[in-house]
Amino acid sequence: MKRKSALAAAATAALALVLSACGGGGGGTTQPAQSASGAAAQPVANAALTEVFNPSTKKGGTLKAAHSADWDSLDPGDTYYGYSFNFGRFYWRTLTMYKPGPGPDGNTVIPDLAESLGEPSDEGKTWTYKIKPGLKYEDGTPIGAKDVAYAVARTFDKETFPHGPSYLNELLDWPKDFKGVYKTPDVDYKSAVEATDDTTVVFHLKKPFASMDYIVQMPMTAPVPKDKDTGAKYREKIISSGPYKFETNEIGKKFALVRNDQWDPATDPNRPALPDRIEVQLNVNADDLDNQLISGDIHLDIPGTGLQPAALGKVLPDPALKARTDNPTIPRLWYISVIPDNPPLDNVDCRKAVMYAADRVANQTAYGGEVAGGEIATNVMPPPIVGQEKFDTYPSEGNKGDTTKAKEALTACGQPNGFSTTMTFRADRPREKALAEAMEQALSKVGIKLTLKGFPASSYFSDYAGNTAYVKKNGIGLATHGWGSDWPDGYGFMQAIVDSRTIRDAGNYNLSVKSDKVDGLIDQASGELDTTARNKLWVDVDKAVMEDASLLPVVWAKALLLRGQGVTNVAYNEGQSMYDYIMLGVE
Amino acid sequence: MTAPLDVSGSASEAQPEVVLTGAGQAVQGRSLTGIAWMRLRRDKVALTGGITVLLLVLVAVFATPIIALFGHPPLEFHQDMIDSSTLLPKGDFGGMGSEYLLGVEPVNGRDIFSRIVAGAGISLLIGFLATLVSVLIGTVMGVVAGYFGGWVDQVIGRLMDVFLAFPLLVFAIALAGVVPDKGFGLEGNGLRIAMLIFIIGFFSWPSIGRIVRGQTLSLREREFVDAARSLGARNGYILFREILPNLIAPILVYATLLIPANILFEAALSFLGVGINPPTPTWGGMLSEAVRFYTLPHFVIFPGLAIFVTVLAFNLFGDGLRDAFDPRAH
Amino acid sequence: MLIVISMVTFGIFFVVPQWAGSTPEALASRYVGRAATPETVHLVAERLGFNDPIVVQYGRFLKGIFVGAEYDYGAGVEQCPAPCLGYSFISGQPVWPDLLDRMPVTFSLAIGAALLWVVFGVSVGVLSALRRGSFFDRLSMGTALAGVSLPIFFTGMVSLVVFSYGLGWTPPGGAWTDLTENPAQWAYNLLLPWITLAFLFAATYARLTRAGMLETMGEDYIRTARAKGLREREVVVKHGLRAALTPILTLFGIDFGLLIGGAILTETTYTLPGLGQFAILAIRNQDLPQVMGVVLFAAGFVVVASFVVDLLYAVVDPRVRLS
Repeated sequence: MKRKSALAAAATAALALVLSACGGGGGGTTQPAQSASGAAAQPVANAALTEVFNPSTKKGGTLKAAHSADWDSLDPGDTYYGYSFNFGRFYWRTLTMYKPGPGPDGNTVIPDLAESLGEPSDEGKTWTYKIKPGLKYEDGTPIGAKDVAYAVARTFDKETFPHGPSYLNELLDWPKDFKGVYKTPDVDYKSAVEATDDTTVVFHLKKPFASMDYIVQMPMTAPVPKDKDTGAKYREKIISSGPYKFETNEIGKKFALVRNDQWDPATDPNRPALPDRIEVQLNVNADDLDNQLISGDIHLDIPGTGLQPAALGKVLPDPALKARTDNPTIPRLWYISVIPDNPPLDNVDCRKAVMYAADRVANQTAYGGEVAGGEIATNVMPPPIVGQEKFDTYPSEGNKGDTTKAKEALTACGQPNGFSTTMTFRADRPREKALAEAMEQALSKVGIKLTLKGFPASSYFSDYAGNTAYVKKNGIGLATHGWGSDWPDGYGFMQAIVDSRTIRDAGNYNLSVKSDKVDGLIDQASGELDTTARNKLWVDVDKAVMEDASLLPVVWAKALLLRGQGVTNVAYNEGQSMYDYIMLGVE
Repeated sequence: MTAPLDVSGSASEAQPEVVLTGAGQAVQGRSLTGIAWMRLRRDKVALTGGITVLLLVLVAVFATPIIALFGHPPLEFHQDMIDSSTLLPKGDFGGMGSEYLLGVEPVNGRDIFSRIVAGAGISLLIGFLATLVSVLIGTVMGVVAGYFGGWVDQVIGRLMDVFLAFPLLVFAIALAGVVPDKGFGLEGNGLRIAMLIFIIGFFSWPSIGRIVRGQTLSLREREFVDAARSLGARNGYILFREILPNLIAPILVYATLLIPANILFEAALSFLGVGINPPTPTWGGMLSEAVRFYTLPHFVIFPGLAIFVTVLAFNLFGDGLRDAFDPRAH
Repeated sequence: MLIVISMVTFGIFFVVPQWAGSTPEALASRYVGRAATPETVHLVAERLGFNDPIVVQYGRFLKGIFVGAEYDYGAGVEQCPAPCLGYSFISGQPVWPDLLDRMPVTFSLAIGAALLWVVFGVSVGVLSALRRGSFFDRLSMGTALAGVSLPIFFTGMVSLVVFSYGLGWTPPGGAWTDLTENPAQWAYNLLLPWITLAFLFAATYARLTRAGMLETMGEDYIRTARAKGLREREVVVKHGLRAALTPILTLFGIDFGLLIGGAILTETTYTLPGLGQFAILAIRNQDLPQVMGVVLFAAGFVVVASFVVDLLYAVVDPRVRLS
């Protein structure tokens, strides 16, 4: 099995090499990271983007990881962070998973618990998954189809599990009187999800949906034994279905995983499970975390969003350290919502003035520069999204902004001398603060006066920028924002941030795009079954948003990741937009 | 909890009576202020502090011409000074030189010298006005408690205890986070500054209040008050004509010592990210950015130095003032 | 008094947002995952009781403290015995054990620093007073004045840059080992925060001791003691210092009480996992039960500390009798 996955990785690596030029992997060489003889790998920048760096099948050792904050929850039914989906696969298995390893293949889904990908029937309204035989939990009890069905049903209770994705709540045909497995234990939920026998899970959807295989790779389908389920307290004592189980778990401080001897590698060709032990420290100071990663005291930075500025100044000028970095473009857009709720920004020409006046280079620098921040974004969808097209509706020389065009637009909207408005940002995010300052500078050149206001990230969308009443009452015109996709296609990336029908009173993520044209195109794209045509339609959505001038793209994010010292089998996985955690080993 | 914040305030407040009873007694022959002024002039250290304070005030008042002469506008970006991948200033010492006296900030290349000069105004403004607020509240509360005594004194004493037990910083942060953007006819940074003045002043009045209460208690028993009372003077007359004038000296001294504490408080709030809104420069805010770039000495040192010099100058001057009004400690 | 403080805290987090136009649903949407549906937000608002009048919510909080509460975790109900400060809105963890858990860190920080600053501050103060006007007096008082004028987030940062990242003598910020685990490591990790914190306080204490000593040493009973033929050292320590200690004790009570309530700036600068860091995180996350818990906890310490100080007065100052 191990050899097989290594071979597969090698094959993808070869393919990836060809594709990396358009994959937006960033600068740097594409030399092989390892000599054929298998001697110690020579670190080269971006080596883990296209192939497995320092490949190894050696088992043993302790993988030490750290996190500068904390998980939302370790419970597979109550978590919604990319790193959590990535890391969780150490202790959970789901019906499908992203193909481990580097290169564009990482965007495809392959079966995990399931024998094969889902079987759609009833025109995509019913999805059937056959799970493998012989699967066991850490306590030796068998994992059956009913455990998966139960796990899915338990996540329905958003009162108990408010953090996780709600896709399945909305897609599946839940019974009217079902309030969750705890409040209504007697209601049969088989109209939504059922185990028709020991190995068959069937999902019943309200309407046809093509991307079900992407949905069930999310941890809502990780099996949970009903008799061990403790609701909101399950996060403290999780029953593992993956190669590792919890040894200790001190919420908010640290936890340790050890081998799960009931996990059968024969059922799982995708997890090499190299380390004997995995230790995770939580709430570590971000700068110290970087220092420890550089020195080799820890192997892995869990959030996988890249180095802090202080470390950047240390790593980039040092060739030896720089050789240990990877600089991928991730499917995330940092942007500014240009909110049409208050005059004069309700006029599209005034919004266009903002588009032209913005200094994209200054914005990029504010957001971390070309290495740690990202590539200057000219439209909504980032390059890693399947079918993305790059275009520029508001070009300017050297991307420094076009004051002439901005002034023309101001005249067109009846504000030739500019206007005043307020821009919000998340006060605990220094990059967003810098971005707001850069915008204030750039817009002042055409007479648009910005007042900047920082708010805590925890209530940014609930109370401030994402709260329609607040935005109207306080005349908010611009708001910093960022979005990453759950899966790499147009729907996965754009629907939540540009569909005006998702807007409600508070907690909005779409702050500004309120266009009938965009909504119409979204419906057209979602209903289109042909992939090529569908991708084309999503590009049209992108263009319509840019013409609406209600979203000012800043950067398509890049992260400067540092490979830990003595870590083997390192590869950047596009599906996870991070290193593929389950592949890692230690020397 | 907030180590640096309470220090100057609580240190001086701990023994008000001991130090300040001189205020009333010294009224013999020469006026108290005359003697104090004479003493102050002899105290070189205090004078240095005083002159520094004066200079700082001048810098704050004439910030705009100073910046025009020696620096660049404090909000202006100079990204040509910045390395586009590391975001650090190009050149040695953070870009220091004749063009940028104290170097430039990372990321946006703003002139650190200009930002420090511009930050002086905010620090001093908030320091002075917040002290004014605490002096006003503290004097009223202290005089009322000390003069009327009884249950009034009890209630106000309790109130001061509550305030002293408050985890101030927690409250200030929480409050600063939830205050709306418009109100009291102000908006934007105007409201923000007003709010900070209010929060800082409101939370530090008990230190003045205690001193004033103690002074009032002892003044109430003095012969001249008794005399006034026996002549049929009303409470209002006694309070305003007899007691308050005698309180001015100690209040002045402790106000001078409270200003630096309040400047530190403002810096701490800005440091924790709940101070003035960007891009307006503040010293505490500059320091909090410097944390992310701790490898850049110039970025850390200069705002820290600015806070240090200002606070030290006020402390020196306030100390001298106290010594001058207090014959025994000299 | 604690009730007043708890009411004010509660008000800040519930009433002020309502002035700003917030609704229960908006409050609840702070505590859900990204892109949550309106139903989710509604359920969470119900679960956290945001739809009840504020008095009811506050009453529930008080009830938790005095008689305990119940926590419904979906698959069952857990008893949270009094004093129950509730469960975090975010992590779902009970607040009280979390506070107890973080107390050793803050306590270690405070104890060590307090020991240093009292010893150094008082002895420097006494020496300065005895050698008034000497070079030592000027030097130490100058240093002391500089000490009170430096913000700890500045000295802390500089000390970390120089001693930890530069010279490598001390561990980086965030290092913490339990005393019971390894006492040497415990002390080594806390050395830098102790010294920085103590420097700040020692300055105040030295100034205060000096002033107090100067005053008491001029009193009649000291002259009497000297006249009795007591040795100078005895006069200084037994008579002079003892009386001078009273104001220091008052200050110490307040300082120490406030410090164990959470040394916010010190813990932020050195990223120590104590109560101060807990408070900052709780505020950042707007996790009301945690904020309430840590504020009450902190205020409680001040109350206890000032009570202890009152008791100690009788011991230290012969002029004070407990009535």
